[in-house]
Amino acid sequence: MTQAEIKLCSLLLQEHFGEIVEKIGVHLIRTGSQPLRVIAHDTGTSLDQVKKALCVLIQHNLVIYQVHKRGVVEYEAQCNRVLRMLRYPRYIYTAKTLYSDTGELIVEELLLNGKMTMSAVVKKVADRLTETMEDGKTMDYAEVSNTFVRLVDTHFVQRCPLVPATENSDTGPPPPAPTLVINEKDRYLVPKLSLIGKGKRRRSSDEDATGEPKAKRPKQSTDNKEPIPDDGIYWQANLDRFHQHFRDQAIVSAVANRMDQTSSEIVRTMLRMSEVTTPSGAPFTQPLSSNEIFRSLPVGYNISKQVLDQYLTLLADDPLEFVGKSGDSGGGMYVINLHKALGSLATATLESVVQERFGSRCARIFRLVLQKKHLEQKQVEDFAMIPAKEAKDMLYKMLSENFISLQEIPKTPDHAPSRTFYLYTVNILSAARMLLHRCYKSVANLIERRQFETKENKRLLEKSQRVEAIIASMQATGAEEAQLQEIEEMITAPERQQLETLKRNVNKLDACEIQVDETIFLLESYIESTMKRQ
Amino acid sequence: MAGNKGRGRAAYTFNIEAVGFSRGDKLPDVVLKPPPLFPDTDYKPVPLKTGESEDYVLALKQELRETVKRMPYFVETPEEKQDIERYSKRYMKVYKEEWIPDWRRLPRELMPRKKCKKAGAKSKKAEDAGKGPSLTNPVDVLKKIEELEKKGEGEKSDEENEEKEGGKEKSKEGDDDEEDDAAEQEEYDEEEQEEENDYINSYFEDGDDFGADSDDNMDEATY
Repeated sequence: MTQAEIKLCSLLLQEHFGEIVEKIGVHLIRTGSQPLRVIAHDTGTSLDQVKKALCVLIQHNLVIYQVHKRGVVEYEAQCNRVLRMLRYPRYIYTAKTLYSDTGELIVEELLLNGKMTMSAVVKKVADRLTETMEDGKTMDYAEVSNTFVRLVDTHFVQRCPLVPATENSDTGPPPPAPTLVINEKDRYLVPKLSLIGKGKRRRSSDEDATGEPKAKRPKQSTDNKEPIPDDGIYWQANLDRFHQHFRDQAIVSAVANRMDQTSSEIVRTMLRMSEVTTPSGAPFTQPLSSNEIFRSLPVGYNISKQVLDQYLTLLADDPLEFVGKSGDSGGGMYVINLHKALGSLATATLESVVQERFGSRCARIFRLVLQKKHLEQKQVEDFAMIPAKEAKDMLYKMLSENFISLQEIPKTPDHAPSRTFYLYTVNILSAARMLLHRCYKSVANLIERRQFETKENKRLLEKSQRVEAIIASMQATGAEEAQLQEIEEMITAPERQQLETLKRNVNKLDACEIQVDETIFLLESYIESTMKRQ
Repeated sequence: MAGNKGRGRAAYTFNIEAVGFSRGDKLPDVVLKPPPLFPDTDYKPVPLKTGESEDYVLALKQELRETVKRMPYFVETPEEKQDIERYSKRYMKVYKEEWIPDWRRLPRELMPRKKCKKAGAKSKKAEDAGKGPSLTNPVDVLKKIEELEKKGEGEKSDEENEEKEGGKEKSKEGDDDEEDDAAEQEEYDEEEQEEENDYINSYFEDGDDFGADSDDNMDEATY
């Protein structure tokens, strides 16, 4: 893994799980597969803490273990999975748009806890929803279960590999670690549970605002006495399916930008029809006939068959080649070229970056070289209609930043420079990789800056939190307006200003992280799709 | 490899015009330091996207950041002892739920060993029934040490303990591997030992005596 990725993983792990887990996680990412004792020795942490850290990491699917010969168990970190933690808010928001609040909370619980049993998820989500409802109303478990089942049916949630049931445990010493297996058919099989119950509202006496020691509250009484019907069956969020959804969204919005709303609806219909039939890494969807598409169009769209055919022909003829025609039966068989679509999106990202960094003339040269594949310096100046000196300057600038590369074509075997052609070209895959690496660095910088800003103003933040707590408690016990005013004045006007600035900056940095992550997703998808084809 | 230097004028092997400057031009100064840390950009970045969904995702992100700190998976770094114990610290402790992983899904070596000696001694005695000769029980070992102490070899008790540990390892190594359940006891004692010295016991698996052989070949210490 590159240094930038390791740095980003380190920051993410630290924010989510604290420093000990971060140390262990980063060490595993750096050094690969290692057994327990070596980890403890190399990182200098005590064995207990290493064990705890590994338990947390395994629970969240960030580390896997493997039993090697002689019974040694080795642990390996999944760097790519750690980077996904940046995208959690987007997953949760997607679940909200598709399955409303219930779906949102289910996915949130699954992401926060790594893996959970269905009954645990349903109970927790029902409790949380009940909190937000009006007094007297509660959320029924059945409703939450239904949403859960729908999430599983559309593959957004999947089963974790299971511990194999051992029939005979006397055949020798038990293995040092279980080997988890999953049958692909059972991946989305929901056990028959009858979860009856309603969400519980937390008793208001527990929500003590006077700062009574919370440690006195008894441990949450879980229903451990009753046997859990789906014990051992754990569920996790299926991130690949979310990625598929994001990819489809990106393609549909690209078509909408390029053409119009109707064509984007047609493309959306085609993608929806291929959701279950096409495996996630396929370069193009299964062929769909025009008749099928016509039948599956959403109910509100009243376009006639001829208009649909015209749209499809237009889409297929478009130079971007999002849609391709693969045959003539059934009124015309059409496929969506997923790989080409991702390629176009990645290229568009590159063009946009060049434009914003170097100016529109540079962008013109870049698009020119992209289109013509290989160009000599003289040809660039001629085609782009830019004076020679400026064109050279821009080309060298882009060359030094690795957006453009040089291809040497020697005329003679001795590669003499005077007798060699030097052609400028854009290698999309390597430029995408370079940009992705830069994105990781950017996000790491953003997180560091945000942490720095927060640390600088730590004293002020703590003070404002205390004041808020005092105000809240005074309001609860009924205080006069004048007293509240007095407390509020504890924070002076310049301090308020400072807090405002801090809040604005932190919001901006957070929003930046989220949007850089969208670029990261596009580039990663393109690179992954290209690697799969090779 | 002097080539034609000094004889006639230097000739470039390629068309110098192609590079972008002609002969005799004043070239920019050679840069002798790394590029600046925060370089000025000619073009300012594009403003961020704004909208309802962006705001919602932002709020989600910030809430998530706060929530993960309160989850049981966030392992706090144990704080060093402060000089004065603050009264308020007792009352500001955040209540965290205890999380117990499903041990059936994890390797056995990750289970924490109970450090309760009394319970440990009892369970070890129970396990002892299935084990071989006496060297495997720390209670027995302690008894032996006491006996030896009475014989006046008290100062070597630590060494004895370690040698007994080494002995246990040797005896166990043939049957199972270190991480195996049968060696649970030894692991417990090993851990105790580990905290006292800097050596990983696995280094000495092959029957090396701890430091015993190293003196034999050194002739230097004969002053």
